[in-house]
Amino acid sequence: LKGTLIGLAGIVLLAILFSPRAADGSRIFLQPGNLTDILRQVALIGIMALAMTYVILTAGIDLSVGSIMALATAVTAMRLTASPAGMGHVQAMVLAIGAALLVSAGAGALNGAVIAFVDVQPFIVTLASMIGIRGLAKWLTHNTNIDIGFGQDVAAHFASLFWQKAVVVGAFAVLAVIFGVALARTVFGRYVRAIGDNEKAARYTGLPIRSVKIWVYGLSGLLSGFAGVLYTAENHQGNPNAGVAYELDAIAAAVIGGARLAGGKGTIAGTIAGTLMIGVVTNMLRLNNVDSNVEMMVKAVIIVLAVAAQRQRGAE
Amino acid sequence: MKRIEYTVLAAALLAASCGTQPGGQPSQRQYLVAFSQCNNAEPYRAAQNALLTRLLAAAGDVKLVIADAQQDNARQVAQVETFIRQKPDLLIVAPNERAALTAVMGQAVEARIPTICLERDILQPNYTTYIHSDNRAIGRLAGQFIADQLIKKYGTAKGNVVQMRGLLGVEGEINRDAGAKEVFARYPGIHIVAEPVADWIQAKAKDRMTEVLRASPSIDVLYGHNDPMAVGAYLAAKELGRDQGILFVGVDGLGGEAGGIKKVMDGVLGATFVYPLCVDKAAEIGLKILHDPQFHPEKEYTLESTMVTAANAADLFKKL
Repeated sequence: LKGTLIGLAGIVLLAILFSPRAADGSRIFLQPGNLTDILRQVALIGIMALAMTYVILTAGIDLSVGSIMALATAVTAMRLTASPAGMGHVQAMVLAIGAALLVSAGAGALNGAVIAFVDVQPFIVTLASMIGIRGLAKWLTHNTNIDIGFGQDVAAHFASLFWQKAVVVGAFAVLAVIFGVALARTVFGRYVRAIGDNEKAARYTGLPIRSVKIWVYGLSGLLSGFAGVLYTAENHQGNPNAGVAYELDAIAAAVIGGARLAGGKGTIAGTIAGTLMIGVVTNMLRLNNVDSNVEMMVKAVIIVLAVAAQRQRGAE
Repeated sequence: MKRIEYTVLAAALLAASCGTQPGGQPSQRQYLVAFSQCNNAEPYRAAQNALLTRLLAAAGDVKLVIADAQQDNARQVAQVETFIRQKPDLLIVAPNERAALTAVMGQAVEARIPTICLERDILQPNYTTYIHSDNRAIGRLAGQFIADQLIKKYGTAKGNVVQMRGLLGVEGEINRDAGAKEVFARYPGIHIVAEPVADWIQAKAKDRMTEVLRASPSIDVLYGHNDPMAVGAYLAAKELGRDQGILFVGVDGLGGEAGGIKKVMDGVLGATFVYPLCVDKAAEIGLKILHDPQFHPEKEYTLESTMVTAANAADLFKKL
């Protein structure tokens, strides 16, 4: 964790150093608007990466989070735009969000159940659901976007409410605290860490491995669904093609934050630092108008270097 | 290597990539024009970038930066947000999708950045001016051309048409579809036998067309909502030995070796309809905004299309 934090601090320092200046001579990077832009831009991936950390701790992987997010955007927008006219806005929003979260958590728990009971590798199970759930989202929507307008209807109200930076960033912060405390301070958190550390030992000790796995993947689905709800508001649309490759960003955030894919090692604080690192690097390159293709290459190198630095630390 | 060395390496890399921008203040006033492009991977977009770069470079006092959103709404919103922080003298946005970009372009207008909405509309008029072509009119032109060709073939307006559709929900897709269907509705003998979606992409269109060809024994016309999709469909038909019986019609009519006009000259496409790049108008209006504080652009500029057939393709090719 210490290595990740040093890395984050270093990148922030570089971003300040290389920040172009505004007309009044101040550094654009440090403007509150820009800093909160970064937080909002990483929030969705960050939220997914929280539960991804749990999954990785159990020596698992969840490739289906981007597809589940897309499904959630579809369900949210479909429910909102199909709300009966007489229904109160609050009730309609609760129903739409509830439906999206329920479907997402259900999809995640199904992943977990297959992994726990059929004993297929998580990579394969979630690869299958990544494909299948994307198909479900496209089928439900006939592969069209469900646009949310800017009028006075419930969908527009929903968007104007959940679009706000404070809501998005606040939700990320609250979830980060909950997931951090749950991992460090609860019995459930200890089980999650124990399973990835040594599953055989955990089984002999009589830990409820199966139910923990179902919970972990269920939570991953739930948070992906919640990210989908926020995406719907932010982009004013349900989009069955949203979130492609988001699973890789979420995994990258956790890995940069020190999570070990073999399980047993990783922290929420590290994952958050990893998420912020990606966000700051992206912002820094964009403020300097670096070609977006170069941006991808730079990110690739950052990931490898971050992990190499941690590996070195582990060996020391 | 030690951890510290990795860190130094990363820092050097970042510094190098950021340091590619020339520093220092130029002697005369230099204007910053920021262009948020939705997807460089489409040839139409690449042609836009090339022409805009050329026209603004000719102006001499403009620095143009282009950000590629790679067909990702969230990425484009973030890129526009970052542009707003940089306070460019002019912002041009070619939105990936209408709903997603509406709010962030409103922020640009609020920040008093002159904002040109290019080619695709958004849900609210969050722009200084909107420069576009009329896709509905292009759809009608294409539809009428197809109907006329079928009349020529059969003596009466009948036949089977396949539509290869672009990214659903986008204005261009909606209106190139609706315009053609307005015309087809007048001819009950014309049937649309399949309307696969290929998201503007040639490779996807080839796959979708292969499936359609397997399912439909008789196809007279393929109407692609852009040229690459029409070409993709042609390649699928050629592979199955069925390209001779089918008339391929596209939209976009780009110049250059890879463009649709060349495809008409080569006999791959029966016709294409020029979809104006819009950036020539954007450069003209944009430079006026930069140089003349008294200039107030119209809220909207609509640019006309041209039909390209074997008769005029060679001439147009030379001009572009």
